[in-house]
Amino acid sequence: MDSGGLIMHANDGADAPYWNGLAEGRLLLPRCGGCGCWMWPAMNRCGACGSEDVEWIQREMRATIFSWTRTWHRFGYTESLDLPFVSIVATVADCGIRLLGRLDDPDQVDPVIGEGIAGRIGATRVGTRDIPTIIWSRG
Amino acid sequence: MHPLYGTTAVAGIGMRQYRRGASPLPEQGALVEAILTACADAGFDPADVDGFVSYGDDKNEPVRLMPALGTRELKWSSVVWGGGGGGIAGAFGLAAAAIVSGQASAVIVFRALVEGSSGRLSAAVMAHHLNDHMLAAGIVAPAQVCAIRANRMYEHHGVPRSVAEELVRASYYHGSRNPEAIAYGTDIDLDEMRDSRWIAEPFRLFDCSRENDGAAAFLMVSAERARDLKKMPAYLLGCANGSERGWGDLLENDDEALYPTAGFRPIARRLYADTGLTPADIDVIQLYENFSAQGVASLIDHGFCTYENVAEVVRFENLIAPTGKLPVNTGGGNFAQGFIHGIGTAYEAVKQLRGESANPVPDAKLCLLAGGPGAPTVSSAIFGNEIP
Repeated sequence: MDSGGLIMHANDGADAPYWNGLAEGRLLLPRCGGCGCWMWPAMNRCGACGSEDVEWIQREMRATIFSWTRTWHRFGYTESLDLPFVSIVATVADCGIRLLGRLDDPDQVDPVIGEGIAGRIGATRVGTRDIPTIIWSRG
Repeated sequence: MHPLYGTTAVAGIGMRQYRRGASPLPEQGALVEAILTACADAGFDPADVDGFVSYGDDKNEPVRLMPALGTRELKWSSVVWGGGGGGIAGAFGLAAAAIVSGQASAVIVFRALVEGSSGRLSAAVMAHHLNDHMLAAGIVAPAQVCAIRANRMYEHHGVPRSVAEELVRASYYHGSRNPEAIAYGTDIDLDEMRDSRWIAEPFRLFDCSRENDGAAAFLMVSAERARDLKKMPAYLLGCANGSERGWGDLLENDDEALYPTAGFRPIARRLYADTGLTPADIDVIQLYENFSAQGVASLIDHGFCTYENVAEVVRFENLIAPTGKLPVNTGGGNFAQGFIHGIGTAYEAVKQLRGESANPVPDAKLCLLAGGPGAPTVSSAIFGNEIP
């Protein structure tokens, strides 16, 4: 299934360093060079202080679960994922940015909000593309 | 007094609704029929309509309706931004803005949706939001986005999951008694509902709104002019549309306290401040429920209950007309009346205030219309059959 050209692809937005970082095996996240606040979604200007100085800082792939859902219905664009699969919002340690990601779910144990997780870089196949992403596991 | 308070009114309504994929007319044809019905309802010449407002990606640019309607002059043609149903109530505010400012005098608010013409609504909504962050996480549908928020509301904020079922049952109860509802004549089977298949946890099939073919239209004119037309005016008393800092299309990085809400906190604040009304003044609610949990979150945002007392308020018996204290979705709502991107909730608001509802609320004077919850931009409005 093609996305019909409606979807913004990697590397043409303010978050390009994030995608390039994943491709290089690193998690890079944006912080304002003016006031030091973390910015997500990535922007070219900090709305809090007005600075246009954006620093991309490496963070470890450690996080806690902010929330989650386990998907059972076969929605379009998810054809490469075995059902059911768990998607999460992960709060990255030492910055507080929340990232969308997938969680390993071998035994279908419900995730718990606040639970610690560790990530590795993988990819999700959508149509003909492999989109890099962080796949998280418990413990 | 706020310039929108009681200065305009809905004078006529029209709706055509069919099962999804079953419309006998293409989208524009269904819409024209709905508009003609709304004008006839008011006793108003459709050629005199000079403005149109829609929301949520409606494909029917008003200028193309002119030949079929015999429109003499188009003076106002606008749409509320946002792909979800968040803009539905805001559309009435936009129509009122045109009338109050003298830029148009008779404005049709509409929404049309025929799958054969426009495809699946859920796909159209998601086209606004989808990006690689979401695709890579397998998050591709409104149900999943709302499910993640719902789990946070249930787990972290202590809202008991049982309230979702109460809301769904109330909608189906009303819908089963409304001849214009898709669910008319069918009582909900509780076991079937509870055992229905998972879509995205915590949502089962019955936690999700349906999609239908059809169109609805509302003729809005000045309050003064409405009093000279055929039907009892449903006055617009207030309308608020928008978003606040810390809420929006933020890749799930909304402010932590706002995250499990439906986005209506600033909307409700403004709506009540502008009208001088409070939740206690509202007699009946037409609540856009895309998903059960978001309907509950909307009730909380609008001040009808809190995280702490939600289970005492959101009870089936309390939500149904004519005996419940907080009658909600008296036409059946998006779950059971039907779902033409939520426009049926506005239709029922007017019917209820006219005393034409299939589930009348005794002596109802004020009705809250709460738009699509959880959308990045949301809106709500209060209508009345009198101006308090």
